[in-house]
Amino acid sequence: MKYIALALGLLALPAFAEGENVTIEPPAEVSREDGLAAWDRIYEVASHPRCANCHVGESQRPMWSGPSYGEPRPHGMNVHAGESRMGAEFVACATCHVERASLNDVPHAAPQVAMAWQLAPVEADWFGKSSTEICTQLRDPDLNGGRDFMDLASHLDHDLILHWAWNPGGGREPAPYDLQAHVNDVLAWGVAGYPCEGAPDLEIEEASE
Amino acid sequence: MKLTVNGTDHEVDVEDDMPLLWVLRDELGVTGVKYGCGIAQCGACTVHMDGLAVRSCQVAASSADGTEITTIEGLGTPESLHAVQEAWIEHQVAQCGYCQSGQIMQAAALLDQNDDPDDETIDIVMSGNLCRCGTYPRIREAVKTAAKKLQEA
Repeated sequence: MKYIALALGLLALPAFAEGENVTIEPPAEVSREDGLAAWDRIYEVASHPRCANCHVGESQRPMWSGPSYGEPRPHGMNVHAGESRMGAEFVACATCHVERASLNDVPHAAPQVAMAWQLAPVEADWFGKSSTEICTQLRDPDLNGGRDFMDLASHLDHDLILHWAWNPGGGREPAPYDLQAHVNDVLAWGVAGYPCEGAPDLEIEEASE
Repeated sequence: MKLTVNGTDHEVDVEDDMPLLWVLRDELGVTGVKYGCGIAQCGACTVHMDGLAVRSCQVAASSADGTEITTIEGLGTPESLHAVQEAWIEHQVAQCGYCQSGQIMQAAALLDQNDDPDDETIDIVMSGNLCRCGTYPRIREAVKTAAKKLQEA
């Protein structure tokens, strides 16, 4: 039954929604094949170090991985984000990741955006996981903050930490594609019915009950 | 930008991206705060901004505008030391001393939010403050002593 909300979202597509930073315009129809292709691109983004490093689980430890790190390893300085996911129990993320309106472009320094730096929610544990695992997590309202694809697009529109992934500065490799392309892929994947390669399709017919 | 440092109001004319560390040291002459690495990896530049520990080398002047900053000079006075400073002396923590203002400011921030930290918490919190002299065992003991002082105060 938890997929009913997602399915209802499919049936009640708004024709057009203008986001603050991106255009949120879901296509009228997307084939399963094209939905899977959109997911493959989404996975490239979700598994990229700019995103995955802070999508960790109950270890509460952000990761350092990517082209400049060699082998992946936990964030230096013995950083533990705690159950608060923002370091409140130990050293706050904001000790170094200070809120700042402009980009901190100094190599190896702390990334900073104009909002409080924090880990993704513990349910969104993506680090090191397969495409199928992340796909089934991201379409599950219990693991994605209760969001359908329009909500996911809106989240991408508003969350400035997510925007940082495509403009990380400091010589870091950005996430692939760009924010608008990623939003478009999320919309296409959702309209296609959230297909996940290697996992059963959602039972969309529940929406008509 | 305007900021309050150790209770004194200041207005300084600096670039928005000048690190708070340089505002304190070069513009205001507050030199208890130290430069170590410049990239938030050593903790020598730790100060309190609106009561929270921050690495001042990472705080852009624009982010510090309107805030209250406390440095080691404002934590206590020679006549009335902060409990962490008293404990630091009792345990003779400092060796070369370069990292100590950052260590003390981080320890004081820890005890502000947790007045009875266990060893694991102390180690996690203080791990971001490096000491080339390796005084870590004395740092841990001094933090525990300071915690007792604050509990008994």
